[in-house]
Amino acid sequence: MKVSDLLVGLASVVFGLAILGYGVTLPPMPGQRYGAGLFPMLLGAGFAFCGALVARKGWRERRESRAPLVALADWARDRYLVGNLLVVLGLILVYVLFSERIGFIPLSIAILIALFLRLRVPPVRSVVIAVAATALIYVAFARFLRVTLPRGLLEGIVW
Amino acid sequence: MDVLLAALKLLADPYVIFLIIASSLFGLFVGAIPVLTAAMAISLLVPVTFFMAPVPALAVIVTTAAMAIFAGDIPGALLRIPGTPASAAYADEAYAMTKKGQAELALGAGVVFSAIGGIIGTIVLVTSAPALAEVALKFSSFEYFWLVCLGLTCGVFIARGSQTKAVMSLLFGLFAATIGMENPAAYPRLAFGSVDLGAGIDMIPAMVGMFAIAEILRVVSQASVHVPPIYGASGPIFAGQWGLIKRYPKQWLRGSAIGTLVGALPGAGCDIAAWMAYGSSKRFSKEKEKFGTGHVEGIVESGAANNASVSGDWIPALVFGIPGDSITAIVIGVLYLKGLNPGPMIFQNQPEIVTAVFIVFFIANILMVPFGWLAIKASVHILRVPRPVLMPVIMMFCIVGAFAITNSAFAVAVMLVFGVLGFFMEENGFPVAPAILGIVLGPMLENNFFNSMIKADGAVWPFFERPIAGALGVATLAVWGAMIYFALRRRA
Repeated sequence: MKVSDLLVGLASVVFGLAILGYGVTLPPMPGQRYGAGLFPMLLGAGFAFCGALVARKGWRERRESRAPLVALADWARDRYLVGNLLVVLGLILVYVLFSERIGFIPLSIAILIALFLRLRVPPVRSVVIAVAATALIYVAFARFLRVTLPRGLLEGIVW
Repeated sequence: MDVLLAALKLLADPYVIFLIIASSLFGLFVGAIPVLTAAMAISLLVPVTFFMAPVPALAVIVTTAAMAIFAGDIPGALLRIPGTPASAAYADEAYAMTKKGQAELALGAGVVFSAIGGIIGTIVLVTSAPALAEVALKFSSFEYFWLVCLGLTCGVFIARGSQTKAVMSLLFGLFAATIGMENPAAYPRLAFGSVDLGAGIDMIPAMVGMFAIAEILRVVSQASVHVPPIYGASGPIFAGQWGLIKRYPKQWLRGSAIGTLVGALPGAGCDIAAWMAYGSSKRFSKEKEKFGTGHVEGIVESGAANNASVSGDWIPALVFGIPGDSITAIVIGVLYLKGLNPGPMIFQNQPEIVTAVFIVFFIANILMVPFGWLAIKASVHILRVPRPVLMPVIMMFCIVGAFAITNSAFAVAVMLVFGVLGFFMEENGFPVAPAILGIVLGPMLENNFFNSMIKADGAVWPFFERPIAGALGVATLAVWGAMIYFALRRRA
């Protein structure tokens, strides 16, 4: 998705000014003129300035070519492809929210099967690869590297 | 001599040898798959190396990087899709050779000159890094402040596309690094009362997000690209390579020199080295007209250059703690995690570890020849792994990898946010590499600035008072001035 430089620039100006404003509120270090706020202030100001440059360029481009504010890339016109994108993001979010409760093994198998099916991998192959990949990752991380992966539903069954 | 023996002892461990072989295969596999870059391979590995001793961890990274950069040549030659950006410069040339029936010669040149370039780059690394470290021992926070500024500037200077956008990407990375308590005043900046944010944005999930998750999003949002017919390379790979070595000595020497130098520049990595070497080989060639039609000369020079830069990148990373490219940006993160703070002192305090890393560089580049042969022979099968099968597995690996660093789902959320951000940044012409550079160097910039400010009691002059600091400062300001001047002139 190509957003016009005008919008990107303006949004950056707002973001930069917000950081700048935040930096101003931070106290200086004891005995110094500057403190934790200096870097956010400098970065915010710089970001806002560059944002303004980008916005100006976007403004000129729009005047010359009447480019749309938001140009949809090829994928953004295709429902299936947009769906793919959202499914990937959604599944990662599902992991963030539910991994503790459901546990790595069941959740990983479910997420992998869901994404395989979405990407049109045949069902039987999806299930087989999902189970195999989960087992591989589990062995590599939980056994070999001794990472405590969330157990969730399998608490007391898998150790 | 004692150091060398100690280093060899660290490496002569069946576990380390197994890891070197395993990571060679991993690097070749990842490099040979078109969408997966070397930086992505390394960022996937970091969570794994987290749990290893320093030497095996660094051995894994060195080997994977070297192998992945070579293996990028394989799909470049067989499919005309470079496996990593470092092979993009000569993918057309190699593919043209394949169509002429010279796939074996093109790929053979890829292996042989990658290995030669890598070894020359390593020789330069081994000889120059300790010498530079002697000089760097005398550096104070003033010199480091300017050095970081210069490194960040190079990162922007070299990015392709709009420089304003590269600057913004850099500023964003620096901004992300300001979140949390890790600042000279230990003030919980932008934490909004959250314990997780107070601990700061961990570099690794951010990087996995920007390199790997963004790439996954890019792949799934593309309609299945038409895969061109895959040519095989069934003939002998090394036939005629000795002839090339004798015929083009200037080319591979020049390529290795360009690669090492470009690598040693902060911010510039293998892909730029390859483009520059390809350009120079065309420029100085006696047969310019043959370039683009399947002529091996450019492959000799730029194939050597991109692998030489893998070694060259480690010079500023080890000596100053300033990354040569995105791979060494990750390496610096790993060094800190292992308590091996990069900088001149590492050569004094842990010489055996540094020596062991140097030896691994030689081993990796020598192993590249037989393993590369294997990869070329297996390539037809590797290139047939369908992406709908590959991408979900990589995604799961990223999730677990990010999780493993802090053992919390927060890291996975950070990875997700940076993944989305990286995806939209690339879509809108913002390069992501400067942002990563910013996240890595942000704390170093701020700490050295505040240390210097306290020493100078708020004055500006001391930043230029010491001779090296003064020279670095003037150089930095000159580069900034030049950038602004050219930006204004372009506009006028």
